[in-house]
Amino acid sequence: MAEDAIVVDHLSKTYGSGDRAIRALVDVDLSIRSGTVFGLLGPNGAGKTTLIKALTGITEITAGDARVAGYNIRTQPMEAKARIGWVAAEVILDDDFTARENLWLQAKLQSLKGWESRADDLLAYFSLADRADDKVSHFSTGMRKKLEIALALLHQPRVIFMDEPTMGLDVSTRRMLWDIVTQVRKEFDVTVLLTTHYIEEADALCERIAIIDHGRILAEGTPSELKARVSGDIVQLETAEAVDPTLFASIAGVQEARPQGNDWMIRVGSSEAFLPQLFRRIQSDQIRKISVEKPSLETVFLDITGRRIGDDEPIRDVRRFYAQMQRARR
Amino acid sequence: MRVPLSPFWGLYARELLRTFRNPFVLILTIVQPFMWLAFFGSSFALLPASALESVTGTTATSYIQFLLPGVLSTSMLTVGMFGSMSTIQDKRFGFMKRILITPTSKGTVFVTKALGSASRGLVQFPIMIAAALLFGVSLRLSPLEWAAWIGGLMLLAIGFCSLFLAITARSTDWQTPGVVSNFITMPLMFSSGALFSSAHFPAWMQAISDYNPITFSALLGRSFVLGTATDWWYLGYLALFAGVMLSIGYFVSSRFLRVE
Repeated sequence: MAEDAIVVDHLSKTYGSGDRAIRALVDVDLSIRSGTVFGLLGPNGAGKTTLIKALTGITEITAGDARVAGYNIRTQPMEAKARIGWVAAEVILDDDFTARENLWLQAKLQSLKGWESRADDLLAYFSLADRADDKVSHFSTGMRKKLEIALALLHQPRVIFMDEPTMGLDVSTRRMLWDIVTQVRKEFDVTVLLTTHYIEEADALCERIAIIDHGRILAEGTPSELKARVSGDIVQLETAEAVDPTLFASIAGVQEARPQGNDWMIRVGSSEAFLPQLFRRIQSDQIRKISVEKPSLETVFLDITGRRIGDDEPIRDVRRFYAQMQRARR
Repeated sequence: MRVPLSPFWGLYARELLRTFRNPFVLILTIVQPFMWLAFFGSSFALLPASALESVTGTTATSYIQFLLPGVLSTSMLTVGMFGSMSTIQDKRFGFMKRILITPTSKGTVFVTKALGSASRGLVQFPIMIAAALLFGVSLRLSPLEWAAWIGGLMLLAIGFCSLFLAITARSTDWQTPGVVSNFITMPLMFSSGALFSSAHFPAWMQAISDYNPITFSALLGRSFVLGTATDWWYLGYLALFAGVMLSIGYFVSSRFLRVE
């Protein structure tokens, strides 16, 4: 059986000390099988990027240990770094250089000899061969992402870290990148550790997923295993006034009802059976908002953390911002 | 197969290529010392010979002849500032992270930045020599003297680049190199023998001048330009300055260089 590509053992990372200490990672344990796409799913600030920084030797580990591509990242960082690739959220290339020169520099940084044929193959693979000698400042976002993945693959790494690789991309470029990640994993026989806060991305790409929040791994498994954790449907209810908690307990099929102010997260066996009973007990004008969700990674995250993955996201949508402001005033 | 020193040559070449592909930086690097030579150098153009001898303490036939080695020396201070600005740019745009996720050490990054910036600074040398010739300065140097002059400037630039990089190792703020430059440049420039003879300095300033590396570089170059006796120990002092600063910078960067 192949060795695990990444083994994380009780890893913790704390920034600062004393009262100002921020525990970015708390006792993280993970084993990632070679040749798989593994997803770290969590909201912004969950600790995903910090974990990648720790596993790539960019930040020092406060406690615990980690092995990447068979090497201890604390004691053998250079050996590990020679076997890892990295794709950043934002595209990081030398804009004054051509695509081939960017590959040349990456080859130099990795101390590679005879890299040219590999670079030609990668340029052809990513359909960049005819633009190889153009400055990358003239490339589209999709082309720049492709080149960045080519850089990550140049030295035939065993593990590639992709830190929110589709953040800020339009839908079609994101889809293109999903296809690339899937192909790259198969054709280049690498392990991919991908962080994302897009539920559908984790569901589509990853064979296994760890849900991370506040620096802790809260759940891990295949997407199906994680979804199986949530039995039944989740009903989210927002009422005008406080509701007596015993009301939900009296309804058949209610597994759990969690209050969040005037909001409720109610786990039920079947929403089809639950809703008619609910409407009989609560006046319709008392209900501000109600939604039903079938089992998905979104409901898994909601079930585990009690909030949605996007709840802490910065507000980019002005209408959403004003809606939240109005709710806050009420 | 892995090639030793490969990251060093890659990053060093990157520093130089980026400069030559960025005309704006190249022009800025050249224009500033040229302005000094043209405007400041010409400010004593009508000074009688005896007064000039009093100001410079030498037998220079023009103030520009006296000033040329000094301006070249002080411009190496600016080179240090550009070097640390380029490092901060790499941190802010994520490039430092890209470099350090490869088997390239922080020490290698520091050395290539210091040597790359110093080499970039020497681009000024031929331009300034050409400008000085245009202003009528006569330069009759032997190949050894040319090499020693350039070598001295390179050592001075390495020293200052290392100093700037060490001070700004933890910074990601664009403004830091400018602030550091303001703090360092003025005292070092005016307390050296680069612009005027240090013979007229008060004792405390004379003491600073005696240990100021800009003084060593200016006096070395001036001895070649004026054809006077050369104190070769100046080259040794400059080598010591570069070596000490490079060692301090290497140590500081290896431990404290921030990635982002």
